[in-house]
Amino acid sequence: MPSLLATGEDRAALLERYRSTPSGRDKPSRYFKYDLESLDVDATAAERASGNVTFANVPPRAVVCDLQSAQRDHAELFARAYRAALEPQHKYAFLTLAYGGLGAFVYVPADCAIDEPIVVRYAGGAGESLFPHTVVLAERGARVTVVEELELGATGFACGVSEIVAGDGADVTYAAAQFAPEDARAFSTRVARPARNARISWATAEMGASLAIADVAITIAEPGIEAAIASLFFPTGAQHADVVSTVDHRSGDARSETIVKTAASGAGQARFLGNIRIAAHAQHSNASLRDDSLLLSKRAHVDSIPALEIAANDVKAFHGATVGAIDEEALFYMTSRGITRTEAERMIALGFFEPVIERFPTEALRERLRAALERKVGAA
Amino acid sequence: MSDQGLRISGLRCSVEGKEILKGIDLVVEPGKVHALMGPNGSGKSTLAFSLTGHPKYDVTGGTATLDGESLLDLAADKRARSGLFLSFQYPAAIPGVKVPNFLFAARQAVRPGELTPSKFRALLLEKMDVLGMDPSFLGRYLNDGFSGGEKKRLEMLQMAVLAPKYAILDETDSGLDVDALKDVGESVKALRASDEGKNTGFLIITHYPRILQHVEPDVVHVMMDGRIVKTGAADLAHRIEREGYDKIREEVGAVA
Ligand SMILES: Nc1ncnc2c1ncn2[C@@H]1O[C@H](COP(=O)(O)OP(=O)(O)O)[C@@H](O)[C@H]1O
Ligand SMILES: [Mg+2]
Repeated sequence: MPSLLATGEDRAALLERYRSTPSGRDKPSRYFKYDLESLDVDATAAERASGNVTFANVPPRAVVCDLQSAQRDHAELFARAYRAALEPQHKYAFLTLAYGGLGAFVYVPADCAIDEPIVVRYAGGAGESLFPHTVVLAERGARVTVVEELELGATGFACGVSEIVAGDGADVTYAAAQFAPEDARAFSTRVARPARNARISWATAEMGASLAIADVAITIAEPGIEAAIASLFFPTGAQHADVVSTVDHRSGDARSETIVKTAASGAGQARFLGNIRIAAHAQHSNASLRDDSLLLSKRAHVDSIPALEIAANDVKAFHGATVGAIDEEALFYMTSRGITRTEAERMIALGFFEPVIERFPTEALRERLRAALERKVGAA
Repeated sequence: MSDQGLRISGLRCSVEGKEILKGIDLVVEPGKVHALMGPNGSGKSTLAFSLTGHPKYDVTGGTATLDGESLLDLAADKRARSGLFLSFQYPAAIPGVKVPNFLFAARQAVRPGELTPSKFRALLLEKMDVLGMDPSFLGRYLNDGFSGGEKKRLEMLQMAVLAPKYAILDETDSGLDVDALKDVGESVKALRASDEGKNTGFLIITHYPRILQHVEPDVVHVMMDGRIVKTGAADLAHRIEREGYDKIREEVGAVA
């Protein structure tokens, strides 16, 4: 069990913040059985707080270490980024903080470009709970890609935070794909606070877990920022997935693009809430939200809710959404070329996710995602 | 052999309860080019879809055989594997499915095991060259964001790669500029000149006779209101070009 961070904050107080902060989610429907307002993590899950972190591809010019080392050896840098992007509405982050200790700090100095993705890998055994907190600080003009991997054991639980603080003109890509066992639960909060002219790109995938809750957000508080969120999730069997994306344009002259692809099969239940906020003074913002849902069985259900709050008048905001089963005309087209209906369905369903898969930074990760999706489509 | 050919007899077809084809008789012999002309709404596409097995098109009577094999009880993929091909008037876009992956799957389905992926790629590039297609097509998703001309070229590329026994081209020529039209003509000629396609029979559906300047038909059929009302040689197409359909409509109306 990793030692707790000395943050001077009281666990009871953090847990109270966790309990009192609204989830920002809908009430349960007859489809979605979890009420995220009253859902609590039982004490035993918390008691089993555990797990370890390892790193791969650590470049010589960057700092990549666990949180305890960061606090001890890089106190000033770490203090600039730790909790700097989190905001009070991030309910699940309070749970991570309450049991904090496991985590990683990635620091990239100014104008340092790192090509090879840095891999941060969290692992826990059967029945263990992980509360990992990844903190990325990319200085002015730095460029880095981080791939977060999470291995959970059977009936495991994870509630993690990823934070990115990016300096002027920095370029950060962060990819996280969750392949937890089907009886595990996986919660995540991913937040980024870029400075002017910075580029932030999130690529996330929720593949496993009986219940996956994901918040992914970018706060645009300075001009010139390019923000991208690409997410896919695919509940099958009895899986539930609840994803909220938020792009907050508090400054103008910035651009954001959100792409979300959701499929559901079996009795899989998915909810997606796509928030795009453009403040009154954030003129010349350019925001797009594209979310598509594919229903692969009668009992599967997807609720996809775009929430565009646009207070400025000189902006470009695009929203496009589709929901439905596989298009019969597309199926006929493919079968008319000799491809069997089953194979055509498989190709169309896998193709559906490609625009998001392409946003993942390594071929190994893309292939792993494709293989996992293929298994899910095959089981549908 | 007498059962060779794409043989259609007394074919009737309804769409959403409405009868569109009212008894079609037509035989496309191997290696021959037939043109099927007719005004908009006469049922040309309906014939194409009922032959290729579109689930929305209900065949209510008649027969259709391909070199002796009955088509009408087969699912669409089996008809394709028997050697039937349709170049769609409006091909579907399929995001996320890359052009070469799709074409390889189709080729493997129709002509199993003949080609390794690297030989297949070489074949693709060769056929694309005939059609004036840039190799960048290979990185694109199927018909996704394609212009009208690009879609039609991709249909012709598929025909070239699959080398069917019988190819139906549903208004592949419509909406094309002069160059694209010429490329479509060239790809029909290239298939006919190839080993795989020297016996391919064509049913070229067209509203305007422009395409027939590039591919001379052996037989021309005119369809009106769900029936073949006239069949003739290539000069019938020229007559339609000069006079339009009204004159023929009057003639056959008078006969009926
Ligand atoms: N999918 C369809 N749904 C409803 N009506 C259709 C459909 N396809 C064709 N039709 C009708 O069938 C008739 C013939 O259409 P079509 O075969 O497309 O003619 P053509 O290809 O000769 O222009 C038209 O009256 C058309 O409205
Ligand atoms: Mg038509």
